[in-house]
Amino acid sequence: MPRPEVMERIPVDDEYFLFRSCVASSKYPGMESATKEVFERIGVGLTESDDQTCCAGFITFTSVAEVTATMPAVARNLSIPDAAGLNTITMCNGCYTFLTEFGHFLQQNPPILGKVNEMLGMVGREYTGESQVLHMIDVLPKLKDRIAEQVVKPLKGLRLATHYGCHYLYGFKKDAIDDPFMPTVVEELIEVAGATPVDYPEARTCCGSGLTQVVIHKEELALPHMKKKFDSLKEAEVDGIIVVCPYCLTILDRGQAKMVDRGITDYDVPVLYVTQLLGLAMGIDPVRLGFGANVTSAKRLLEKVEKLGGANA
Amino acid sequence: MSKTEARKLRPELYPKLRDLTFGFVRDLEKCMQCGKCVGACPAAALTTYNPRRMIHNIKAGNLEEVIESEELWSCFFCSTCYASCPRDINFPFTVAMLRYASIYAGYGVEYVKKIIPYAQDYYRRGLTVLQPEKNPLVIGRRRANSGTSGQMADIREQMGMPRERKISAEALAEVQFISDVSGMTKLMKDMLKRRDAGPKSRDRIEKVETVKSREGKFAGFPKEQENA
Ligand code: SF4
Ligand code: SF4
Repeated sequence: MPRPEVMERIPVDDEYFLFRSCVASSKYPGMESATKEVFERIGVGLTESDDQTCCAGFITFTSVAEVTATMPAVARNLSIPDAAGLNTITMCNGCYTFLTEFGHFLQQNPPILGKVNEMLGMVGREYTGESQVLHMIDVLPKLKDRIAEQVVKPLKGLRLATHYGCHYLYGFKKDAIDDPFMPTVVEELIEVAGATPVDYPEARTCCGSGLTQVVIHKEELALPHMKKKFDSLKEAEVDGIIVVCPYCLTILDRGQAKMVDRGITDYDVPVLYVTQLLGLAMGIDPVRLGFGANVTSAKRLLEKVEKLGGANA
Repeated sequence: MSKTEARKLRPELYPKLRDLTFGFVRDLEKCMQCGKCVGACPAAALTTYNPRRMIHNIKAGNLEEVIESEELWSCFFCSTCYASCPRDINFPFTVAMLRYASIYAGYGVEYVKKIIPYAQDYYRRGLTVLQPEKNPLVIGRRRANSGTSGQMADIREQMGMPRERKISAEALAEVQFISDVSGMTKLMKDMLKRRDAGPKSRDRIEKVETVKSREGKFAGFPKEQENA
């Protein structure tokens, strides 16, 4: 159940700054196009900027450059929505974690903040921390009614599981929108889209990436871990998994192909970002929603959606 | 003399580490060794990795064992331990900091060397994870699923998006300038040097691996490293 006290703190604005994700841009661009289409339909503006770079979390958590060096990168990126006077929506659990943790860190360490702002000053920027960093699933529940109004194609009969990932709910167990072990925000959005949320025993198990796990340990750790998750999903007989993070999307989508290739099993469960799901229910063209980038095909799910009829926007 | 006998415990290192890491290593003194984290930890479920034992070792001053270990690189950074911990110890941050320590001590670079180019894209292009897709499995399936060549630029174009995401020239200049000033550029270069100086640290890691495999439960190394 969403926490009322956190829900209260989430601002509902006419316009947000959309913090784009490197992984989404280069692997699953549908996350970005679907988000823009959905927000346009519900009448909420999204500003983006070509000045915004990688959040630098990838560099830090792969141990390539330490925090003192990536801190200014965080501050620089957040200086953009700060200057625009907008709150920030992140599409990625990693961007959320990094911007939030490091933003807090800077706010709590004035001497370091001072040094960082000195550096930013040299390029004419300043980090004030005024822009509130939000996660996509902080904002969507607040806009539920507006989303429901735009659903022209309720996804009746579609059985969908959720995968919330780790870095938002686990990493922010006290400040996140929902309980880390029994969240339901995305289930509620699945219902808004007209589909049926399905629970499965390994729902809160990590995707198996942990950013570097697949690269560092490759399959020895990642595949057995993922298999556990998918075995449990298979028993639940789902049409798809809804994720809220591009990294989870990458790992779950590609992991299945890898498991087919290694002769383990073909689970064949398409993985969708939450706004891609909402986009389908709003009748948006699946090509525009970017399902062509999925490695594990979304074809069967899309055929089911097609059969449902309803209006195409 | 065995490795463990030779090792001197240095409990004074934990407070030092705490200060050196700007508070990202914190609260370990609150740990009551209850093991809830271990029960929740996906890495512990698959290997000998054990966050509770690591915390004990860090506090007891057996930092070397942690820094040299393969286990340090098993953490998924999933924060499930933090979510389960009755004492709110945010352990993955400790792991991240210890990984730097490990790299500086000449051990860990083997584990991250394949990711370095992805991170370096940040300096060259302002974005990461940009390395072109090389996996034929991925390209083939994307080709079938999209009806395009399967290359990202073509898929993006089909969706009505620019062929690639680019950041502005001004932003890139800022990023490079700030990286130079903040020391990130140098850190990245040092990483490359460490990677190229590989064999020395590889020897050390191999020793750890042998010890661990004798203990019977070790996840193993990536294939290329085995053949290297
Ligand atoms: S759950 Fe927390 S208190 Fe318990 S052993 Fe793990 S870190 Fe220590
Ligand atoms: S963050 Fe690391 S130590 Fe904590 S539960 Fe996940 S894998 Fe285990």
